[in-house]
Amino acid sequence: MLQVEGVSVSFGGVQAVKDVSLEVPDGALVGLIGPNGAGKTTLFNVITGLERPRSGRVVLNGADVTGVAPHKRARLGLGRTFQRIEVFSSLTVHDNVLAASEARRSWAGDVADPAREAHALLERVGLAGLADERVDKLPTGLLRLVEVARALASRPSVLLLDEPGSGLDSTEAEQLGDLLIDLVSDGTSILLVEHDVELVMRVCQQLFVLDFGAVIASGAPLQIQNDPLVQAAYLGTRAA
Amino acid sequence: MTTFLALTLTGLVVGCIYALTACGLVVTYTTSGVFNFAHGAVGMIAAFSYWQLSVDWEVPRLLSLALVLLVLAPAFGALIERVLVRPLYGAPIGVTLVVTLGLLISLIGVANLIWDPQTTRVLPKFFPGRTVTVASLVVSYNELLVIAAAIAVALALRSFFTRSRLGIAMRAVVDDPDLAALAGTNPQRVAQLSWALGSALAALAGVLLAPLVTLNVVDLTLLVINGYAAAMVGKLRNLPATVIGALGLGVGDALMIGYAPGTVINYVKPALPMLLLFAAVLFFKQERLRSGSVAGLRMPRTASSRQAVGTGVLFVLAAYVISGHLSEANLAVGGQGLVLAFIMLSLVLLSGYGGQVSLCQLTFVGLGAFAMGRIGGPLGLAVAVALPAAAGALIALSVVRLRGLYLALATLAFAQAMDKVFFLHALGSGGSLEVERPALPFVDVANDRTYFVVLAAVFVLGAIAVLALRRRAFGRRLVALNDSPAACATMGVSTTVTKVIVFTASAALAGLGGAFFGGLHGSVSNNDFLLLNSCVLLLLATIGGLYTVTGAFLAAMFYALFPVLQEQIPSLTQVQFLFTGLGALSLGRNRYGMGGQIAEVGEKLRRLRPSLPQPQEVARAAG
Repeated sequence: MLQVEGVSVSFGGVQAVKDVSLEVPDGALVGLIGPNGAGKTTLFNVITGLERPRSGRVVLNGADVTGVAPHKRARLGLGRTFQRIEVFSSLTVHDNVLAASEARRSWAGDVADPAREAHALLERVGLAGLADERVDKLPTGLLRLVEVARALASRPSVLLLDEPGSGLDSTEAEQLGDLLIDLVSDGTSILLVEHDVELVMRVCQQLFVLDFGAVIASGAPLQIQNDPLVQAAYLGTRAA
Repeated sequence: MTTFLALTLTGLVVGCIYALTACGLVVTYTTSGVFNFAHGAVGMIAAFSYWQLSVDWEVPRLLSLALVLLVLAPAFGALIERVLVRPLYGAPIGVTLVVTLGLLISLIGVANLIWDPQTTRVLPKFFPGRTVTVASLVVSYNELLVIAAAIAVALALRSFFTRSRLGIAMRAVVDDPDLAALAGTNPQRVAQLSWALGSALAALAGVLLAPLVTLNVVDLTLLVINGYAAAMVGKLRNLPATVIGALGLGVGDALMIGYAPGTVINYVKPALPMLLLFAAVLFFKQERLRSGSVAGLRMPRTASSRQAVGTGVLFVLAAYVISGHLSEANLAVGGQGLVLAFIMLSLVLLSGYGGQVSLCQLTFVGLGAFAMGRIGGPLGLAVAVALPAAAGALIALSVVRLRGLYLALATLAFAQAMDKVFFLHALGSGGSLEVERPALPFVDVANDRTYFVVLAAVFVLGAIAVLALRRRAFGRRLVALNDSPAACATMGVSTTVTKVIVFTASAALAGLGGAFFGGLHGSVSNNDFLLLNSCVLLLLATIGGLYTVTGAFLAAMFYALFPVLQEQIPSLTQVQFLFTGLGALSLGRNRYGMGGQIAEVGEKLRRLRPSLPQPQEVARAAG
């Protein structure tokens, strides 16, 4: 379970995130949408500890982690993928995931065979056939799947996914949707940033809409779809 | 009181010179983002050119001065920018570091080539013998000139940056080159001008400093480097803070000579600027975890353990066969190459895999040799590993949040400080410490031929160990950390712990190399572990290919064989530095060096086998 309470972030004079609160309950799949530059990735950085908020708290599974180092948050069950892809470009696909599995073994000690686990995860995201390829040879969409597999190797209880579907074709996106639903049914909580409306509407139980750094709407997907404020944010017109 | 004033004056004069060099450094760094490690060497070259013109060729002094400061130095700066720096914009710090270090080493090589280091040269002070007495304090015209020059430059820079169109354009380029370009400024032209200006300031500092000290290539270069500390006080941006730092450094230094107890002066004084540099770097603002980029850096393939062991056995056999045909002198040369190759393995681990810069690798080697020399025997060998490892861990802990340039500067300061504070006293400047060869069972290490083969075996074992480490979990973690620290943190890896471990392991490896290095010649002196030699080591390792064990071997052999080539071809004297530097300058193109190229050829040969599918097909198959 993840709670974000009143988080604000400023870069110089610009307020990138304004007093944002949201919650991802256990086993829920919550979507975070909004136009480019709305502050979604910045919020992810605050949650994972790469960015310090000016105010507000981040609570992970009941513990306040606002001042905790990024790697310790990971050990407390927080995983993520990156919008600007962050694969280990000198390693093969398999070794990217293996490195995370081995890391999990080193701090949790509950991974019996990291190589096997890495392989199983690659199979789960549909990349088993590419295990021995160097990641720098893969197209962007597949790199996002490498990141998903790597994040899963840390066995997170809360998973933040930053546009995992961009660069995937419709079949691949559908498979990704299946995977997400699968993960949630296993008890993982997911916060999903995604522009693929179809995917978001299909898998998310709840949506938060961010615009200019602030939450402008939240609720069930259908309700959000018809919200005039949200339409205004996306279409660029000002709502009355 | 008079003593105090006199000391303060001396300190102010030196401080003014530091301020000049530091301001030049700041100007170039801020406009181009490339830290010029060769800044000190530019000042040194300028001082020598000035000597050449005014003393040797008897050109009138004022004309010589004008030629050096207003024509040669700016032209040289502009040339450096055009040829070396411009292709480096946006390049990773590792590359800019190696290229400007390469320039530093090249310039030292060039200076040694032109001005025979055996000859003593004296650059007379300005207005010799002329003094003025101010409140019982005798001030020479030369000192007044230095202070006046510094004040004039400070005022000129200030009005240049706030009043002139070009100066304002330079500041705009610092803040945002792209935006400045949109506003009609040509950022490259501005950067070129700033390099011309920075080079002129380095030259002024060199010319003013040289009469106060001896005209010596290395000393002069390193003295100008002291200005780095002042530049760091100004956080490489702020000119007034830089000037204050420089004056404080100069005066503090002088007062220390006057008042501190003798032993403290002996030990700490020569290292004071470096200690300050270290401290200033440490107080630098903490940076965010860097995110990597997907632009793939193709790291060469790692050999499998079977390949490594097979090649290793062949290597030792070859060394055994060759050793029978080598003269005593050549055995020493070859042995030197082997032991250096082993030492470079520590850089493959630290810099190649881990992406950490170190300019203090020979300091660890020196600590290892020191332990072996002082203690000797199996205990000595153990301490030769443990002592550098402890030093490495300490250094890593203090610099763990630093990266790139700041890490390079911190390790540079550490190497220089250790040389001045420790090696100079522990090993003696001219004198040397005897080091016995590590004893091994069933092997007569006293025999030079046997020791040669032992060194080959030691290198092979080290290489196999480093390769094995690379293939294991820790190796993957290191490479991952190098590729994307942010992603590493999100999988629960502590960047701090990983960095401390790799620094410690690398220092231990270097220290072990130090024990064998000392045993090779039977003795070591502080000259073996100078900062500049550490720089040459890093450059060579980079030229050879930091990412591969083969590269380390090739680079070390090149380094060791050079003296032999020199014997055959006498005109090669002194060009070792030059060649090394030039090699490094070419690295802008191929980051993986020779070893990387060899690995690439190997990979291409493997790719010729038809069984491997092409990436597009693979991608399609996966979809």
